[in-house]
Amino acid sequence: MLRSQPRLFARRPSPTTVEYLVSTSPTYNLPLRLLLVTTFIFRVLVGLGVLVLLCSKFARKNYSSEATTYPQTPDLLNIDYVWYFLHIIATSKAGTQSAKLASHIPATALLPASLLIFYIILLRTHTTEALLVIRGLGIQTSTSSDTFLSTATTRFIPTEKIQDIFVNEAFRGFEVRYYLVVVVEGEEDVVVVFPRLLPRRHIVEKVWRGARACLYEPDWGKEGKSG
Amino acid sequence: MPEHDGLMRVFWPADVSRTDSPGIIVGWRNSGLDVFVLAILEDVEARNVENALKVGILFRNASHPPDRIFQLCGQSSMHVLGLANTPGVDIEPLQIRARTGPGFRRPQILCDRASTIQIIMFERPAPNKMQYMSLDPISLALGDEAERTMYTLGSIDAEEEKEELRKWKRTRGLIEKLNFHSVGKHQPSQKELALPWIVNQINCSWELNTLLQRNISLVRRRPGRALSVSERVVESATTMRDFALMAIWQMITVYIYPVVRRAFIIILLGHRIAAEGLLLLLEWRLKPGYAALKDISATAQQVEIRLQQFCYWPMQYLTLRKRKDDWESVTTSHPDYIRFYNSLWLVANDVIIGMALGSYIIDNSVWVAESISEILSIYTVAALQRTIIWLMRWPAGLKLNNELAAFLGDLFLWVIEHWSYFIEALRPALPRIIWFIGFSSFAGASMPIAMFSDLLSILTLHIYSFYMASARIFNWQYTILLSLFQLFRGKKNNVLRKRIDSCDYDLDQLLLGTILFTLLFFLLPTVIVFYITFAGSRMAIISFKAVLESVLAFLNHFPIFALMLRIKDSQRLPGGIRFELEDTRQTPDKPSNGVSPPPTSYIYLRSVPLTFPDMFHQYFQLGQRIRKHYLSPRVLSCLAIGKFVPPIHRKNLYSLQYSMLPARRAGIWEMWNALVTVPPLKKHVGGEFKVNLNGRRLNGNGRRHMH
Repeated sequence: MLRSQPRLFARRPSPTTVEYLVSTSPTYNLPLRLLLVTTFIFRVLVGLGVLVLLCSKFARKNYSSEATTYPQTPDLLNIDYVWYFLHIIATSKAGTQSAKLASHIPATALLPASLLIFYIILLRTHTTEALLVIRGLGIQTSTSSDTFLSTATTRFIPTEKIQDIFVNEAFRGFEVRYYLVVVVEGEEDVVVVFPRLLPRRHIVEKVWRGARACLYEPDWGKEGKSG
Repeated sequence: MPEHDGLMRVFWPADVSRTDSPGIIVGWRNSGLDVFVLAILEDVEARNVENALKVGILFRNASHPPDRIFQLCGQSSMHVLGLANTPGVDIEPLQIRARTGPGFRRPQILCDRASTIQIIMFERPAPNKMQYMSLDPISLALGDEAERTMYTLGSIDAEEEKEELRKWKRTRGLIEKLNFHSVGKHQPSQKELALPWIVNQINCSWELNTLLQRNISLVRRRPGRALSVSERVVESATTMRDFALMAIWQMITVYIYPVVRRAFIIILLGHRIAAEGLLLLLEWRLKPGYAALKDISATAQQVEIRLQQFCYWPMQYLTLRKRKDDWESVTTSHPDYIRFYNSLWLVANDVIIGMALGSYIIDNSVWVAESISEILSIYTVAALQRTIIWLMRWPAGLKLNNELAAFLGDLFLWVIEHWSYFIEALRPALPRIIWFIGFSSFAGASMPIAMFSDLLSILTLHIYSFYMASARIFNWQYTILLSLFQLFRGKKNNVLRKRIDSCDYDLDQLLLGTILFTLLFFLLPTVIVFYITFAGSRMAIISFKAVLESVLAFLNHFPIFALMLRIKDSQRLPGGIRFELEDTRQTPDKPSNGVSPPPTSYIYLRSVPLTFPDMFHQYFQLGQRIRKHYLSPRVLSCLAIGKFVPPIHRKNLYSLQYSMLPARRAGIWEMWNALVTVPPLKKHVGGEFKVNLNGRRLNGNGRRHMH
């Protein structure tokens, strides 16, 4: 529900520059937006819960002991406030519950599990891949990363390094997929555009035509066809 | 030259101007409609600027010759590219009209010739912070050539290397073949060829802009104003102070500095000669093919690496010093800088860790020695003895040949007994040795680790010899069994033709051969269990040493400085460039007074920092090499038939370290020449002092690099 079939968006502010985006993000309407907000809140809550659990497992002695009591609330912008806040959480009902829970789980199970949970709540819901074609400079492929922690990986190929752009087909499992390929001069591996989504053929064809028309000057294209 | 498609490309520094005051746009014209904006000069006339650019007034007082910059940027002259915020003034058809200001999020550019415009905006990298942009990732290693020669020299893995070379050649051939498969060859246009120059222009833009803005006051006609009385008082006071300071500085440079410098050079040279002697000793080989001392011992290897580094540092420093004689925008020496400080930091860190480790070992030398000898006697003597005795008595229900097992077992037990006497004799001296190892760690934590690795190989010499002996016996038996099996089948191995021929044996031959085959076959399990035991313990020792070696590799080669730079200022470690297409649909700027600009795309050019896998590229290579050596089918088959498994060649293992060092170290005489002929640091005494007299410090003397 949070992701759709890969769809193509094109941005073409001028005829010599075009960006093709293939994304699995759905069209946003009100219920979907509400759902997104709910999942976001859910992620934050789960993350905080795991943090509290970890805190009560490994730093239990520091915060929840009865010896450290705060006679008055410290200043908000003070480092003491953080300790005070942790103390409040640790001595609250949820804190004591989690401490009880944490004492039952061995550390060897808790640590990998919480790492896995952190990874899952940081996952992006949809993938976006882009091809940016700039005449006179080159083309750039980019793929959004899995998690929110890292940025998209990009690869820029200058035009003089581009030997060819074509659509190829390959077996993938039990289906045949068409994909866009850039051959880079002097490299043994070709660069696959949209490597993770591998959109359907009509999208790939459209991008291929657009990219070729945008990348090279039109009169050269005529010569190429006649020759 | 007219372009076919009327595409205009403008490189525009994102931080150039945010005001709406009129100005002259100055920059490079790479080709007809391909311009690179350097600066917007305000309060001047276009004609004056044009003249000043021709005469060279704007490049006055440059710290270094401006020709160098022109050469770097691939252009012979700078041009007036157009006007900013001056509507209504006539301009040439190729020139541009730009509108900037607080009301505009992006500059609006018009040009009569252009039908479409690409505006590529970039942040100017600051050369005084050693930031720069680059199309290719910065290389942290010294270069692959040294590594390749090193790699082909290693004789043990020669087959694998040949295989690799063959594979490499094949892919080269395929790539060349691929060239014939492209449909039409695109003739690169001038814009496309300009990209490498543009990267240089971006790197130079900050410094050039500063220079132009500083010198524009020479072109600007401004009424001179006499200084007021108070300003004069301040000026004469500062002059007096500067004069006194300069006199003191002069004294120091003339009398003290040369003496200190000469003494330092002599110390360096003495150190270099001593290092050369030691290095010759470490690299001495009895015969060309034989192993040198550094190939056998980890300690010698470690000492060699340190000495090589000490020999390389002065040369490296001198090359870095040459950087000061050039524009800061020249980026060729930045990787050298990172390499130099990386190795300095690593050695410093090594010494710091070594001090902690050393003081701990020295304080507890008795306890450490005690526990080491305990572990040794438990695992390498007692455990081995117990295992052998167990093997002699039908282990795990296997009914081995009693007599052979007793013979082999007694033999090994006898050797172990003598070895344990030796260990006992060594025991009183062990605290002394440990103390020495601890003391050596003040030269770096890598030293005791290397020594410990050597100590381990000496103290487990008996296991090594047992492994060799049992492997040899097993291998003999295996080959004899193979050939007797051929006899049993009535065939023989033809060595000349490398094939199996059938052969008519006599009856007595067959009988004897078959009896021998049966005998040997029944004795095989006994030999195998002994072989497996010793091969297993040998493998355990090798893997323990591999762990030690990888700790050494970490201490000697960790890219700590690069890692710190990546966190502190990622622009100093460029890993390529990336473009971002600005979304102009959502935030359309208001059209500039009636004239609507041609379709324009705004693109941001940003630097991509070096990725972490790229930083640790060499470690991955090392891991792959170790894995290929020890987990290859060749090694496993060697183990299975009892052939000797060669340990990985040190040269391969240490290619990591050597990629930080040149393949050939500079000779003593070379170093002496380089040190003596180095020009003293250029002090801008004349220029700077004159500027100071005006009460304004313009010539930046506080050029500092943060590390």
